[in-house]
Amino acid sequence: MPGDRRPIPLKILVAGGFGVGKTTMVQALSEIPPVLTEESLTTASVGVDDIAAVPDKSTTTVAMDFGRISMDDLVLYLFGTPGQHRFWFMWDELARGAVGAVVLVDLRRIDDSFAAIDYFESRRLPFVVAVNSFPGNGRFDDHAVRDALALAPSVPLVRVDARTADSCLATLIALVEHALARTEVRA
Amino acid sequence: MSEDPSRSPDGANGVAGRVVPVFAVTGGRTRSAGTDLPMESLVTVTEHAKQAENLRKEYRVILDIAERPVSLVEVGAALDVPVGVARVLVSDLAEANYLTVHEPLDTDGDGRPSPAVLTRLLDGLRAR
Repeated sequence: MPGDRRPIPLKILVAGGFGVGKTTMVQALSEIPPVLTEESLTTASVGVDDIAAVPDKSTTTVAMDFGRISMDDLVLYLFGTPGQHRFWFMWDELARGAVGAVVLVDLRRIDDSFAAIDYFESRRLPFVVAVNSFPGNGRFDDHAVRDALALAPSVPLVRVDARTADSCLATLIALVEHALARTEVRA
Repeated sequence: MSEDPSRSPDGANGVAGRVVPVFAVTGGRTRSAGTDLPMESLVTVTEHAKQAENLRKEYRVILDIAERPVSLVEVGAALDVPVGVARVLVSDLAEANYLTVHEPLDTDGDGRPSPAVLTRLLDGLRAR
């Protein structure tokens, strides 16, 4: 880390249904042992007073894993985000200022990915859909996958083996290329 | 001994509960004095911190790990406290000029990283 330059934090979200490989992907990419951390409601963009309205405070914590990739003064954080709807308050904080998101998909359970896709579309956050290489997921061509997920043509669709660093890295590159193209369109 | 009310009863993070409730660490504060820092904000230790004496353990741990840039989430994980608590402790140290906070400021208006930063990120990832 050069001492003369200010470090710049960046973040990418890894979203998708339960058991789709979010933790595996963060693990494959991270230079630090991925940490499972506990996030609490007070740390999200929710007023302290709102907590009083939550009858059972013990239910307001949620586990989240994160990893890190350092590149000179850039420090990229990967957040494996909890997929359940009730944690959307956390997605808002995570999505704010993010480079974009990877939506991991298991074609055997595509319904699990709709919530994430809808969310990122509505927030206009750049995202790519990455089909994880579970058995049988190779049987469907891209056209069929796009159809099933009702994906906009502009959303990149990639195949990934979440256990392999190179494959995960290629997915991140596809996402950053997409995010960059989006900024150029806006400009 | 009653249960620590600040922990979820199922021990979600697999760590034995701390003896002191997490918000006792911050004197009951759940909000930091400054603006709400994004959780990926980085902190680094300052020269001035070398003069810091008699700091409580949590502060000392933060200054130790901030020898290289670390984020609020990493501070939280190192102390086994939620990010909100880490945010308060980091703000205290920043106010004492023991830490420099590096927020993700380089954005292009809609809060997203600027094209210049994205280009550098892309180069960095391709070089790996």
